[in-house]
Amino acid sequence: MSVYAELADIPGVIAAGEYAYRGDRYNYKGQLNDEMARMASIMCRATTMGTHMQTEILCANSENCPFDPAHGWMVRGPRFSVCVVANVFCFLQNEAGLLNRVMKKMQDKLADVEKMI
Amino acid sequence: MSSLDNLMNLHGAAAAFEFSDTGELTNHRISDDSNLTPDALDLLAHVFIANIAIATMQARGWEKTTGQGGFYPVQGFTLVGLEWSAVGNGQRGVVLRNDACDFEAAYAALDS
Repeated sequence: MSVYAELADIPGVIAAGEYAYRGDRYNYKGQLNDEMARMASIMCRATTMGTHMQTEILCANSENCPFDPAHGWMVRGPRFSVCVVANVFCFLQNEAGLLNRVMKKMQDKLADVEKMI
Repeated sequence: MSSLDNLMNLHGAAAAFEFSDTGELTNHRISDDSNLTPDALDLLAHVFIANIAIATMQARGWEKTTGQGGFYPVQGFTLVGLEWSAVGNGQRGVVLRNDACDFEAAYAALDS
């Protein structure tokens, strides 16, 4: 089973998906329709590219920069959060324990980014 | 104890910092065993401000387009590296080691 499908099966996860770094290809599972998944993939991909650029600037003038390379990001709203690691995204409810569980799974499963591209 | 000292008490904390609404570093703590510098924290603060602004726009548009509320207003942004993560919320941030990182505790501490 793919990582995004495993994430989507966790109680409290709204939806999860994966997107291509180039182009608009995507897969998803959960409470999204095709158009929402397409928009989510584009937004997540754009933010991921942005964080990679920002991390390169951040680390350009410092040795042993702890954020190089960027591996992911998350945003937190009042009821929902979005987590992205490598090319996998996950929309989840802000329930106690869920954010840490999802991030642990994503970081463990997606630690080897090279295999995901 | 100051709010930054509370953040430094989080497990695996390497740095805690405060910044203006435009991202300039205003106060910070860095652990003795960290290579982080005030200049790096200043850039991190700008990363937070920039990404929270963009994510807020996206959340606003997402909610209006899909009718799915709960993302707006964006309350925090986290940058995840392979070994360290930086969690930001409002005008404060904390850098945490990933193998000890409790993101929920970090957000709770930043909210307090």
